[in-house]
This record gives sequence, C-alpha cells and structure tokens, in this order.
Amino acid sequence: MENTVIKINNLVKRYGDLIALDHLDLEIKQGEVFGLLGPNGSGKTTTINCLLSLLSFDKGDIEIFGKKMTPVSYDIKKEIGVIMQNVTVFEELTVYENIDYFCGLYIKDKAKRREYVEEAIKFVELGDFRKFYPKKLSGGLLRRLNIACGIAHKPKLIILDEPTVAVDPQSRNRILEGIQELNRNGATVIYTSHYMEEVEQICTRIAIMDKGRKVAEGTKDELKRMIKNTETITIEILDIPDNIAKEIASLPHVYDTDISSGKLTVYCSGGKHNLTRVLEVLQKNELSFGRVYTELPTLNDVFLEITGKALRDKED
Amino acid sequence: MQVFKAMFKVMRSRLPSALIYIVCFFAISAIIANASTKENKFEASRLGISIFDEDDTPESHALTDFLKKSNDIVEIENDRDIIIDSLYYKRIDYALIINKGYAERIKAGDTSELFGSYHMDDSFSVVYMGQVLDEYVNSVKAYISMGKTFDEAVTSTEEVMSQNAEVNMFRADNGGNSHFSVDFAGYFQYMPYILISIIISVVSLVLVTMNKKDIRYRTSCSCLKESSYTFQLFLGSFLFVFVIWILFMIAGMILNKEVYTGRAWYAVLNSFIFSIVVGTMAVLVASFEPKDNVLNLITQVLGLGMSFFCGIFIPVEVLSDKVLSAARFLPAYWYVRANNMIADITQFDLNEVIQCYLIQLGFAAAMVIITLLVRKVRYSGAAIGTAVKKAAAEH
Repeated sequence: MENTVIKINNLVKRYGDLIALDHLDLEIKQGEVFGLLGPNGSGKTTTINCLLSLLSFDKGDIEIFGKKMTPVSYDIKKEIGVIMQNVTVFEELTVYENIDYFCGLYIKDKAKRREYVEEAIKFVELGDFRKFYPKKLSGGLLRRLNIACGIAHKPKLIILDEPTVAVDPQSRNRILEGIQELNRNGATVIYTSHYMEEVEQICTRIAIMDKGRKVAEGTKDELKRMIKNTETITIEILDIPDNIAKEIASLPHVYDTDISSGKLTVYCSGGKHNLTRVLEVLQKNELSFGRVYTELPTLNDVFLEITGKALRDKED
Repeated sequence: MQVFKAMFKVMRSRLPSALIYIVCFFAISAIIANASTKENKFEASRLGISIFDEDDTPESHALTDFLKKSNDIVEIENDRDIIIDSLYYKRIDYALIINKGYAERIKAGDTSELFGSYHMDDSFSVVYMGQVLDEYVNSVKAYISMGKTFDEAVTSTEEVMSQNAEVNMFRADNGGNSHFSVDFAGYFQYMPYILISIIISVVSLVLVTMNKKDIRYRTSCSCLKESSYTFQLFLGSFLFVFVIWILFMIAGMILNKEVYTGRAWYAVLNSFIFSIVVGTMAVLVASFEPKDNVLNLITQVLGLGMSFFCGIFIPVEVLSDKVLSAARFLPAYWYVRANNMIADITQFDLNEVIQCYLIQLGFAAAMVIITLLVRKVRYSGAAIGTAVKKAAAEH
C-alpha cells in the first residue's frame, strides 16, 4: 500500500512582486523517486527550501510523513536526508570526519554511527579516500562525499537538489545508480534537476515546473502521452522540392515538417508506419538521402510543447 | 556534541599560526623577564682605577691590596696628560695618588693630605672612592687608637668593610605594592595584543567556517536544535578562550618565577575579563563572515590598533589627550587603565579598577547585542529570500 510521504497543498511563496511558487500542489508516495524538473529559476530549489522549512512561505500547507512540517519538527527532520546543490562539507575535516559530523547530527550512539559512516563510505566508494581532505578530491569524488554526508544516517526520505551539476559522466552514472539503490533499499527520493535525461532515467514520477508552477505531472510515459508528438523523423537530405515536401506533410499522422540545415524533420502524432511512408515518398520521387533516424519524444519535447520554450538553457 | 567537536577539528588548521604567536610572546616575555631579573639584582660596582703609590711602604701596599679586591686596577703611566686622557676616554674611572708620608701620618692619627686624585667632576666614582677611602682611613685610625698595631688595624678594617649587606630590590611605587612586580606588570601589559591576535584569528575563523551559509542550511535541515547548535558554538569558543587565558596565566608564573598573590589577582581577573571581551569581539567579527585574508587583516588592525592607541605598546603618559579620548571607546584602554593602577603606575583605587572591569564587561555585552542583530539580519528568511530572488531574477 502506497503511503503519502509528502503532501504540498496550495503553496505560495512570494518575494515582493516575484511569485516564486504559484499555488503548488504535490503529493509524493512512499517508495517513489520523484523528479522535480524545470529550468533554472523555475522554483525547484524554493520548493525544497520550503519543504525543509528553511524558508517561510506565504500560503499553503506542507505535510511530511502525515505531520505538519515546521522549523522545529525535529522528529520529521530526523528521517530526512538532504543533499544540497553545492557541495556542503568542511574543508578542514577529512572525508571520514565530514561524514561522521553530518551523521552525528542525527545519530548520537557512537558505535552505531561508526557503522553507518563505514556503510556510507562503502556505498559511495570512498574507502581509499577516508583520510583525504576535500580539497584533494576531484569534483566527482566531492559529489560522492556530499551524498555520503546526506545519506549516512539512513533517512527514509532523501532530497537531492541537483546533485550532478558539474560532474563527469562516469561519476554521474555512479551517482544515479546509487540513488536507485537507495530507493530499492526503501528510501523515498525527491530529485531535482534540469537534466531531463537523468530524470527520465531514474524517476518513477515527474513534476515539470515553470515559473513557480507545476505545468505537468505523471510518469514519463504519461507525460509524453500528454503531447501531440509521438515520433520525430530526421532525414539528411541536400534538397527537396516543394511539392514533395507538401506530399510528406500531407501523409497520415504527420502534423508538422521542417526543412533546414540539410535536414528534413517530420513530426508525427500517432501511427505505426510513419518512417516507411516517408521513405516511400522519397524513393518514389528518386530523391537520394543520407542518414535517417527517428526519435521518440523526450521530456524536453513535453516541456517545449507545454511552455513553448526549451527546457534546458543553451549553456547547459 | 558534534558541533563542539567539529569546532576543535576545524581549529587544527589554525593552530600553527596561533602557536607562532604564543611562542613569540613567551620567548619575548622570557627575554624581558630574564633581563629584568638581572637589573633587579644588587651587585657592587667595580671601578677601573689607577694607583700611583708615592709612599711605597707596607702600609701603602696594604691599602693598594685592599682596593684591588673590590676594583679593577688599570696600569698606566704616571703622566698627567695620559691620566687625563684615560679619564676622558673612560679607560679609568679614578686615578688615586697615595702621597709620600702616608704611613707616618696615618700612624700619627693625621688623616689630612693622605691622597691626591685625578677624576671627572661630579662623577659617581668620585663619591664612591671618597667614601671607601674615608671609611678605610677612619677605621684604621680608630683601631690604632684602640691600641692595635697597624697590621691588626688593617686586617680588622678589611674584615669590617668586606661584609656585604643583603640587598633586596623593590620598585619605588605609590602604594607599596610589593605583590605585583615590574616583571608581572610588563607581562600583563603586553598580553592584550597576543590575546586579540590569537583569539580573533582562531575563534573567528572557526565560527566563520561553522556558519558558512551552506553548512548552516545543511545543519538546519538536521534534527539538531538551533539552541543546541548555538550553545555548542558558544561552549567551544569559550573553552578555547579559557584555555588560552589559563595557558598565559600559568606561563606568567613560570616565566616570571612568581606566584599570584595579593594585588596580582586583580590583574589576573582583569586579563580574564579582557579575554571574554576579545572572545565576544571574535564572535562579532565572525558574524560578518569575512574571508580568510580579510580576517587576518581585521585581526592585525584590531590588535595593533588597540595596542598603539590604548597604551599597550606605548605608555599612556606619552599619548596625546585626543588619542586617549578616542581610546576610551576601545576596551583595551580600560584594561590598560586597570592594569596601570594595579601595577601602581598610577594611583591605585579599587573602586576605579572595578569600574574598569565593568566597562570592559559593558563592551562585551554591547558586542553580543550587535552580533545578535547582525545574525538576525544575515540568517533570517528575508536574507535567504533575497538570495533566492536574486538568483531567480538572473534567470
């Protein structure tokens, strides 16, 4: 039976005229890996800060584990692990001492804490670096240390705020695998990111945010079903006459086409043999073409169709 | 007590620089104490003298031998110009001529025209040699008149004059404060600079680290109560200040080879109160979260600034009234003022000393209040909100 871990009801957070969170509703069930996806400034971190009572809010309610969350809800906080966007460790403490410090904020028993710290070190594979100071660690290892500090006390709810920013692909994969493992071990996870691939890869349910609002919510398949696009066909072709382009555009299930930079892009909605039909038109008119590939819709397409803009910033 | 323990782990990084301050201060204090101890010991002066014995009798030889025991005899030619040059260039302090007929006159009880001399006018050596020769001659004369032979009279005189009185040095002070020596007063005088340097550079750095925004948010997310966090930070800071203060008190006794008695305890209390003031100063500095290099700069400005303006490095007597008027707004001024009274450099008045203590504590209270105000602004939701708003606006 799925229990509700977090319930956010009608949450509003304003900074003067700026509405950071606009009547946000969220419900996260136990055992989920819940993704908060949105561009920078969409309200993801503000949501997390409100959730953790680091920020006061203007309106709404937040319940965690069925209890109202307040700054002094220490019994709730005890069950939450937080991995901040910035690496939050002491430069003056070793890897072991850092994990021990943050674990010690929750676990008083020394023997138990030692065991938990060792498990966390093993989990993030930092065994060889336990006596290293953070400045001696690479970016990827630092991120792993950051995670170990957040999960060492074995929380039931883990909140990860963009934990893979500026991390190499190898470390990123290791981190994502780790998050899935934590989830398999019973933790409910909230994962915020503006990397849609990561969210697609690990999240069981996703909320897309923009300008403080939740614009869509569901599993990745549900989200993709919300939009018209089901398949995007791209064909490398040097030149295509207008009449042939029109013929392709009029094919069943094709709702849009685009010809630019030596590529023909065909957007389809539904249908099973769209690629075959497009290629038949090109072959019938004896047009030569290069590489052909099809793509299923991404969360970026979802975001693009819902908000009219791309999910990711250009620099990302 | 995770926060408390973490504080001392963070302190490790700052201990080398703190140790440099401590070692330098102790080394300088040891040198000063050592030099000062030598100055305080009484030692009879030895003069460089030349003796020209024109009588050349056993009696005159006896006098020469007596003078050799307590002075350095310098052999120079019996020539007026050479003698005057030697006096001028301080090769000798005094040139004694034992006149011909010395033995006969002294045996006859006639002490006139026994000696001639060359000396610099108004010099200490003239008075000293005059006293020695008078005492010798009068003593010999007295023993001879008592019926002793000349040899017996000389022996008795030498015995009497070679007896040394036990001399103890006490500083002339206004209140007869023999419990607080010059060395101790000096030790306490320079202590504020070192206390400021060590406490601010270490405590502020640790507090800045513990209160870094991310660390603080992360800690706020945990089940550690805010009050417990603040208490542990306070306890850690206070313990460090206390340990440093105790260290200086113990070192003070060792270096000056004295124990605290009588009025010295007022100085001990004064230094303890000042340590607390510096501790609160460190907390206030930390609340502005300065970067490491800025923190070093602040430490030096506060340490050197107060030392020069408040009479730590420069005696209060030579500071201008304007400087002293401004210095009244600094806690070190009141520390030095109390210390000067305790050391009898100025008139001791217990009520005024207590007033100085209270004013220093007032500074401490003021700094705590300012710190709370700064923290309220910096760590309030509004501050976080401003940061988030700024970030949001950028996107």
